[in-house]
Amino acid sequence: MFSKIAINNVKRSFRDYAIYFLTLTLGVCIFYSFNSIESQGAIQEFSKSPDFKLSMQLSLAAASVFVSFVLGGLVIFANNFLIKKRKKELGIYMTLGMPKGKISQILIFESLLIGVLSLAAGLGLGVLVSQSLSIVTSSILSVNVDTFEFVFSPDAMWKSILYFGVIFVVVMLFNQFTVSKYKLIDLLNAAKKNENVKLKNPFTSFLLFLFSGALLGFAYSRALKDGLNASNPDLVLTIVLGVAGTLFFFFSLSSFFVQLVQRNKRVYFKGINIFVLRQLNNKINTNFFSMTVMCLLLFLTITLIFTSFDLKGTIDETTVTDAPFDASAFLFVDEESENPAEIEIEAYLNEIDFAFDAPAEHAFYSEYELDMTTVELLAAHLSGQEKLGMQADYMDNAITAVKAADYNEMQRIKGQDPVQLGEDEVLIVSNFHETNDALTSFLDGGDKVMLQGREYAVKNSAPIEENLKINGYSNFFHLILPDSFDGELRLIHTGFNVVYDEAAREEAEETFSDLFYAMDRDEFRGISPALVIGATLDQENNRAVGAMAIIVFLGLFMGLIFIISSATVMALQQLSDASDSLERYRSLRKIGVTEKMINGAILKQCLIYFLVPLSLAIVHSIVGISSIEQIMQFHYESILFSILPLVLIYSGYFYATYAGVKNIVKSN
Amino acid sequence: METILSVEKIEKYYGNKGKKGNITKAMDDISFQVKEGEFVGIMGPSGSGKTTLLNCISTIDHVTTGKIIINGQDVTGLKKKALETFRRDELGFIFQDFNLLDTLTAYENIALALTIQKRGETEIDSMIQKVAEKLGITEILGNYPFQLSGGQKQRVASARAIVTEPSLILADEPTGALDSKSSNMLLESFEKLNQEFGSTILMVTHDSFTASYANRILFIKDGRIFNELVRGNDTRKQFFNKIIEVVALLGGDVGNVL
Repeated sequence: MFSKIAINNVKRSFRDYAIYFLTLTLGVCIFYSFNSIESQGAIQEFSKSPDFKLSMQLSLAAASVFVSFVLGGLVIFANNFLIKKRKKELGIYMTLGMPKGKISQILIFESLLIGVLSLAAGLGLGVLVSQSLSIVTSSILSVNVDTFEFVFSPDAMWKSILYFGVIFVVVMLFNQFTVSKYKLIDLLNAAKKNENVKLKNPFTSFLLFLFSGALLGFAYSRALKDGLNASNPDLVLTIVLGVAGTLFFFFSLSSFFVQLVQRNKRVYFKGINIFVLRQLNNKINTNFFSMTVMCLLLFLTITLIFTSFDLKGTIDETTVTDAPFDASAFLFVDEESENPAEIEIEAYLNEIDFAFDAPAEHAFYSEYELDMTTVELLAAHLSGQEKLGMQADYMDNAITAVKAADYNEMQRIKGQDPVQLGEDEVLIVSNFHETNDALTSFLDGGDKVMLQGREYAVKNSAPIEENLKINGYSNFFHLILPDSFDGELRLIHTGFNVVYDEAAREEAEETFSDLFYAMDRDEFRGISPALVIGATLDQENNRAVGAMAIIVFLGLFMGLIFIISSATVMALQQLSDASDSLERYRSLRKIGVTEKMINGAILKQCLIYFLVPLSLAIVHSIVGISSIEQIMQFHYESILFSILPLVLIYSGYFYATYAGVKNIVKSN
Repeated sequence: METILSVEKIEKYYGNKGKKGNITKAMDDISFQVKEGEFVGIMGPSGSGKTTLLNCISTIDHVTTGKIIINGQDVTGLKKKALETFRRDELGFIFQDFNLLDTLTAYENIALALTIQKRGETEIDSMIQKVAEKLGITEILGNYPFQLSGGQKQRVASARAIVTEPSLILADEPTGALDSKSSNMLLESFEKLNQEFGSTILMVTHDSFTASYANRILFIKDGRIFNELVRGNDTRKQFFNKIIEVVALLGGDVGNVL
C-alpha cells in the first residue's frame, strides 16, 4: 500500500524529480568513470611503474572522499527542495491520520526508488562514458592503444555503490529528522506563507557595490602582482579579499541594478521588464549567498580545468624527444669511503653483477665540481635582478666539469665527431642562454675562464645544448676541460650513458629499465650501499607525463563535479522560485500579459541568473589564470578543451531549468 | 448611447456531451446589453453562474453557443492571439483578491498595464499620475502592496484597470476582501469613475450593499436571468431596499413554499 503511494508519487512528480535524478545520475556517472581509470588500457601500460600506480590510487581515493562530501551536500540540498515543494501533500497525509512513521516510510521508499534508479542509470552511463574517457586518457598519456577494448571496472562499480549508498542513507536519516520536526499547521499553510521582501536603502547598496568593486580590484591586483603562489602566505589574504568582494558584489548588485535600470526609462518601461527586474531583485536579495557560492565554484572549475590542460601542454613541450642518450645513470661519490664500488660506477655494476650485454653502446664518465659557481663566472654580465632570478631557480650552483676524453666517449656513442681541445681551451655545455642574456654576452665578449689562477679560452662561440645525462636538472651548466688539466678537482659523480642499437631497442630498453626499477626499489642496498640514480628516456618521459596525467584527471574530476553542483544548485533555486512565483504569473495572465511575454520573461530571468555568476566567475578566472601563468607557460589550445565540456554541461542545465520553469508556470 | 456590450443567447455546458445526463448547464439562454457609461451589477447566489458569465465576457472562458459582442467585435470567434490583444486593449479587470504583484510598487503595478500595451515611455508617467489623482492614491504610489491596506490595494488595482482607458471594466467581487469602510471608499471611487469620467463598469457581487451603487442590476439564478432592477431616480437607500426584496425572493425557493 505505502510502496504503491511511493511509486505513484515518483511517477506523478517525475518533473520535480527530474533535476534530482539528473544530478544523481551524472554524479554516479562521473564518479564511476574516474574510478574506472585504473583499469583502462592506457593506464595499464603505465602501471608498470609502481610509483605511478600508487600515487594515482592515492589521489583518486582522496578525491573520491572529497567529492562524495560535495555530492552528499548537494543531494541533501536537492532533496530538501523536493520536500519543501511537497509540504502540503505531507500535511494532507497527516490530516488523514497517517502517522509520521508511515510518512517517513513513504519518503524512504521514494528515495530508495530514485536512488536505485539513478544508481543504475548512472553506472550504465558511466560505463559508456568511460569508454570515451579511455580515448582521452591515451591521448593525454600519449600512449597508442591500437585495439579498442571494452572496459568495465567492477572495483569502480562497487566503490560507486558503496559511496552513494552511504549518501542515500544519510539523506534518508535527514528526511526522517525533517519530517519529525514538522508541525501540521505549517505543512498545510506552507503555500500561503509570504516571502519577506528585503528592503534596502539604495544609497547603502550603491556604496556597498562600490566597496565590493574596490575589494575585488584590490584582490585582483594582489593576485596579478604576487601570482597565485601557494608558498606565499599573503595568498590567504588575497583569497579572503576576493571571496568577501564576491559576496558583497552579489549582496548589493540587485539593488544597484534596479536603480540603474529605473533611470533608463526606455528599458524600464518595455514589455514586462518591470516584473523581470523585480523578480531578479527579489531573488538576488534572498539568494545572494548561493550566487556567491556558485560564482566561486564556477571560478574554481574554469581555473582547474584550464590549468590542468595547460599543464599538459607545458609538459608535452618539455618532454624530451630528441635527447642525446637512451639511458643514463650516475653514482653519488662517497668521499669518505675507500670502497671502489662507492666511488666508481663501473665497480658498482660489477658488484651487483650487471654486464653490458644488451644491444647497446655505453660510455663511462667522471664528473667533477669546480670551486666556482655559475653566478661568479657570469657575474660581470648579470644584473642584480637576474642574479636573484638565477638563485631562485637553483641555477646558482658550483660549476661541474668533465674531461675531454670522457666527453669524446659520449660523442662516440652518439655517433658524433670527437672534439679537440688545446691546453688552454674549454667548452661550455649549457642551456642558460634560454633564461637570460648573460651567457650569450659572456661568449660574445670573448671572456676567459679563470680556473685556479690560469686563464682558459672558451672554444665554442655558442654553448653546446646537449646535456651530459638525460636524468639531470632541467637547467645545466658544464665545462669540458682539456685532459691535461692538472688543477684541483673534486669528484662528485661517476656515471654512464647508453645509446641503444636501433634494431633492438625494445630488448635494450627492457634490460635497462629493469635495472633502474630494481635500483628504485633499493634491491641492491644489501650488496652495495652506494646511491645510484638511473633512468631510461622512456621512464623519464613517463614520469613527467604520469604526474601530469594525475593532475589533469583530478582537475577534470573535481571540475566536472563542481560545475554539476553549482548548476544543480542554480537550477533547483530557479525551480523553487518559479513555484513561489506562480501567483504572480497568474496575476500577469489575468491583466492581459501574453504567453509569449511570459516565456520571454522566464527566459530573461534564467539567462541573467545563469549568466551573472558565470560572468563574474569568468573575470575571476581570467585574473586567476593570468597570475598562474607567471608560474606556468600558457597554451591557447587549452581554452577549447576546458571550455567545451563546461559550455555543454552548463547550457544543458540552463535549458533544463528554462524548460522546467516554463512547465511549472504553464501547468497552473 | 452606444452599446458597449451585447450578450446574445449564450449557453455554457460543462461535462461530457456524449453520455446522457452528464451535462451541467452553467448558463442557459442569457441575453442582455450594456450601454456606454452604464454601471451594471450582476447578482446571484453561489453557483448561479455569475462567475462563469463574467469569465465568458472577459474571454477567459468560452461559451458553448451564442455571441458576445464587445465594442462591435464578436469575441466568441476570435483566435487565441487576437483574444490576448483584445483582452489587453479593450478590457480592464478588478479582482476580489486584487492580483497585485507583491514584488512591484503600486506605481510599477499600474505601469505594467501600460507597458504591456507597448506605450511610449514618455506618456506612461503622466498617465499614471493622472489616474492616481482620480483615485486618491498619489501619496502611496511608491509603496509595496504589503505596505497598503486592503482598500488602498483595491484602489491601486482599479487604477491599473482604468489607466489603459478600456471600453469595459469588469469587476469580480471587488469588495469581497474589504471591510465596510474600505468598501465604501472603493465604491465611491467607482461611482466617481462612472459619473465623472464616464467609465462603463460591469460588476459581479453577491453583496446587496455593494450592488446598490450600480445603475442597473441583473439577477441570475441557476444560469438564467431571473430579474432586472433599474435604479432610475431612486436614492441609494430606496434602491437598496428593492434589491433586498429581490434577494429574499431569490434566496427562498418560491416553488418550495407553494
